[in-house]
Amino acid sequence: MKGALVTPVIVTVVVYLFCKFIVPIIPGSAPLPSSVIILYMMLTISGIGIFYTLSKESKDAFWGPIERFLTGDGLGGMQALRYGVLILFPLLVGWQTYNSTAVSDQPPGENRTIHPAPPGEYAGLSNPVAKTPDAIQQGKGFYAAYCSPCHGGNFDGKGPAARGFNPPPANFADPTTIAMLQESYLFWRIKKGGVGLPIEGMPWKSAMPRWEVELPDEWIWKIIMGEYDGAHQSPRTWE
Amino acid sequence: MKFMKHGLSRIVPNIVVGVWLTMGLLIVQPVLAEEKAPASAEPESASESNAVSAPLVKGGLPADDPTAAVWNSAPQAKFPMSPQVHWPNRILDATVKDLSVRALHDGTNVAILLEYADPTEDADDAAAIEFMVGDKKAHFAHGQPMLQVEGGPVNIWFWRNKDAKGVDMNAMGFGTLKTQEHQDVKAKGAYSNGTWKVVFTRPLETGHLEEDTQIPMGGFINIAFAVWDGKKDVSGAVKEKGSQKAVSSWWNFRAEAPPNYTGYYYAAIAVGLALGFQFVLIRNLKKGNRA
Ligand code: HEC
Repeated sequence: MKGALVTPVIVTVVVYLFCKFIVPIIPGSAPLPSSVIILYMMLTISGIGIFYTLSKESKDAFWGPIERFLTGDGLGGMQALRYGVLILFPLLVGWQTYNSTAVSDQPPGENRTIHPAPPGEYAGLSNPVAKTPDAIQQGKGFYAAYCSPCHGGNFDGKGPAARGFNPPPANFADPTTIAMLQESYLFWRIKKGGVGLPIEGMPWKSAMPRWEVELPDEWIWKIIMGEYDGAHQSPRTWE
Repeated sequence: MKFMKHGLSRIVPNIVVGVWLTMGLLIVQPVLAEEKAPASAEPESASESNAVSAPLVKGGLPADDPTAAVWNSAPQAKFPMSPQVHWPNRILDATVKDLSVRALHDGTNVAILLEYADPTEDADDAAAIEFMVGDKKAHFAHGQPMLQVEGGPVNIWFWRNKDAKGVDMNAMGFGTLKTQEHQDVKAKGAYSNGTWKVVFTRPLETGHLEEDTQIPMGGFINIAFAVWDGKKDVSGAVKEKGSQKAVSSWWNFRAEAPPNYTGYYYAAIAVGLALGFQFVLIRNLKKGNRA
């Protein structure tokens, strides 16, 4: 009887900690959005409620203390806590209502997809240029001329023209950019630029130029080689 | 002894309930707060802004006066500028690196003040503000066509020192810039101590929905900026002109809404409902116990 509420509390806390801290570190997953966590927590709590309502005994063990707390029967020194809860609950409801109706002072948040899917015709393209030291060198030369003002001479996204652009120019030395991508993906991005992104990539914000209007395909393939070499990364390949 | 035991078996579950409720509160509150925070609207550096907010002022707007004291009542937003290297003709280094922006509105007109350092005053010094028009998104570089998204035009407000006026323009792609038939924008610049202050003014709403950005009070719209240093080099050529300029990305702009208290009313009603719910619940529980 005494422990009736201990188990549900522990279960709730464990589920929360699991969603919040364990799920994100499972390989291949991402942190759960808090709305999803709230949903899981509500499911957990209603599940617990249903579980304890199933039999008369467990129902009493579960609801009994809650009932006695609310009615204040024989609470003794706990009355203060009871009143605290009875006051806090309406205030919390009021606070939530206020927050949900108040006009947000923040500009709309933006969830820009950084690596949206490329159009089908780019899937599986491979670099037609032979990977010779010469070609790589040439690619680096083109990179210095066309790309370094934004992406930086060190391939770190910190070129002299980068600072005004939001989203910032990609940092190729960061292992989460080109090292995660295939050469065909880069070919698409360089050819079509920011304006070639699908809607989830927010093409209207990207300063990445549409290089197909200025550079021949062969140069772009060479630039890709020079870029990986200079940034000390290698393209992702599908085993 | 027996009494103690009896008391404990009652008190302990109550403590547990209290703790449970408190924990619920502690969990739910930060989670909801986190939800509200804009995820990626934040620029790289925290010292820079992502929005211009124009307070509502009673009385006259300083439309003709870039140096009026009332500007100090508007919060200052700061945006980094890049040389325009996005499309030809490029420029690899532009004079203006940072732009400060303030805005005010009076419910009818909006006034936007751009402030930036420029070591010399030149006839060809110029500045512009860009907006999206209507519901369609537009690329920040002159509303150039996007390949997978149907874009709309941009509305550009342009000022040049030697013209000493505002020009209301539209573009939808490079080389499509044109002056509108109906001019709604006024502009005035003042140069002193190496700093330009340029104020643009326009009615919040115009009747021209296809050409002009409309500024609803309380809502965020997109805004971008451009600045030209019109200094001449030894050969007499202007340093920055046309596509050779300093540019910004899209940021947010809002004309603040008049104060609104409905949130408090709703909250008061919600508190009342919650109290009523508690009252009824507890009364029924007490009745049930007695029966
Ligand atoms: C005007 C500045 C600018 C120039 C010049 C520029 N880029 Fe970019 N680039 C960007 C920005 C901003 C982004 C990030 C936004 C996006 O993904 O569109 C980007 C993104 C990219 C990406 C996508 C990386 C990823 O992780 O998805 C690649 C690849 C790329 N640029 C290659 C190049 C190459 C190659 C050149 C030279 C031929 C070049 N860029 C020149 C601004 C620029």
